[in-house]
Amino acid sequence: MQNFPPNSGSGRGYQTLEAPAESFEQQPPNNWKGVFNISSYTQYFNVDTDVVINRLISSFHPTAGDFFNKIEANPDLYGLIWITTTLVFMLSCFGNFATYLMQKHTDGTTTWSFDVGYVNVAASGIYGYAIVVPMAFYFLLQYLGSNASLIRFWCMWGYSLSIFVPTAFLLLIPVELLRWIIILITGTASSCFVALNLRSYIEGGNDLTIIVIAAFLLQMALSIFIKVWFFP
Amino acid sequence: MSNSHSDTIPLRPSNSQSDIDEIRSLIDDSVHSGPAVVLPARHPATTPPPSSSPFISSNIPPPPPVSSSSSLQKLQSVPAAPPPPPPVGNSSSIVANGFGPPPNTLTEPVLDTVKRDLWRIVSNLKLVVFPNPFREDPGKALRDWDLWGPFFFIVFLGVALSWSASVKKSQVFAVAFALLAAGAVILTLNVLLLGGHIIFFQSLSLLGYCLFPLDVGALICMLKDNVVAKVIIVCLALAWSSWAAYPFMSSAVNPNRKALALYPVLLMYLSVGFLIIAID
Repeated sequence: MQNFPPNSGSGRGYQTLEAPAESFEQQPPNNWKGVFNISSYTQYFNVDTDVVINRLISSFHPTAGDFFNKIEANPDLYGLIWITTTLVFMLSCFGNFATYLMQKHTDGTTTWSFDVGYVNVAASGIYGYAIVVPMAFYFLLQYLGSNASLIRFWCMWGYSLSIFVPTAFLLLIPVELLRWIIILITGTASSCFVALNLRSYIEGGNDLTIIVIAAFLLQMALSIFIKVWFFP
Repeated sequence: MSNSHSDTIPLRPSNSQSDIDEIRSLIDDSVHSGPAVVLPARHPATTPPPSSSPFISSNIPPPPPVSSSSSLQKLQSVPAAPPPPPPVGNSSSIVANGFGPPPNTLTEPVLDTVKRDLWRIVSNLKLVVFPNPFREDPGKALRDWDLWGPFFFIVFLGVALSWSASVKKSQVFAVAFALLAAGAVILTLNVLLLGGHIIFFQSLSLLGYCLFPLDVGALICMLKDNVVAKVIIVCLALAWSSWAAYPFMSSAVNPNRKALALYPVLLMYLSVGFLIIAID
């Protein structure tokens, strides 16, 4: 196994030794070689298959609250990128299919039509949410003086969206009440995941509870948007 | 300028091993014949003519008669021993022969260029999509990559999808083209970010060529309209595409991260396959 560029191997080792000792996560990454050099970004993708699967499974437990401890040494952006992309694909495909099933359920004579606008709305909605919301929380928490790490926020929010992927499957069932129940359950689970992890991460005392509640409500809003737009 | 070397040692296509052998033989000769004889590598008065073989043994002045015959014989035997390297490129019209720069492809007839590019596309296609399962290194799929083939396949797939769509045709083409082009770039970047070792354009080229089975599937689906048949055809095409792309992608990364590199490829082909089935 070769270590080329050599920085990525040794930089990782030093970083894991330093991580518990650092008191704030604002120092720049060790291996930054410029914006356009790809080896400065490989440190955020330094995960193996089993690590990613482990993080995915832990994102399905909404009450654990220890996600930030899991990713402390090695946050990854792989989960963010590919979970959001999978979700965009699932929403546009299954959204079309579910709309068709629902119309057939009520009408019986509708024909299949593929609305390619679903892809656009799904892409802008999901990518926009996953990128902008963690950034907003990062800047807000920086402003309020608490600790914050953009990469870890992106990582956590990305993994929090993973529960919506099997939800998209389940929302194919063309029974309206069942759909609402499913989306409310999964939306609550995802929002609890985000809120509890955020609360265990930031150290600011009680006046930052409003931020945790805001995160919860935003995630619920996203889940309701998914239901209303893609699975009407 | 060119007749200064025509009477001594004939030029031959050089490779580094033959040059090393030649230098070694010269050193041996100078060592054997004693310290009085030192053979300069290059005559200071004559400048070497510009050509593609940098080691021109013709500029050596005639050595003293004691060792001249043996060294000349050695020099003459050395060029004969190594065979000339095989010509670079698929077509016979471009041959690196060492006699001046390679023929300029800018001035050849257009038909020659088109034929050569088409032949390259066909041979790359055969390499990628109909691979020999017993080949020695499945990772080295495309040494002679090009981007014309992928371009044709992506545009053809977009046009086929757009043709079979009944509404929003231009939007369908835009989505298909953007998905495939951006997808190929992002997949390559994914492998690079995971610490894998691939050449960027070679990977783009390979992912484009692996679209060929999906092109065939899209063409058949355009002609037949039965949903069940479409599903079966698209599943077969998908399996073929993934099978073609698998060895290249999996050999480019660390085995612990193989699934991380392959999953996005599967996702892209799956979404394209779904587009083919769903658009009507």
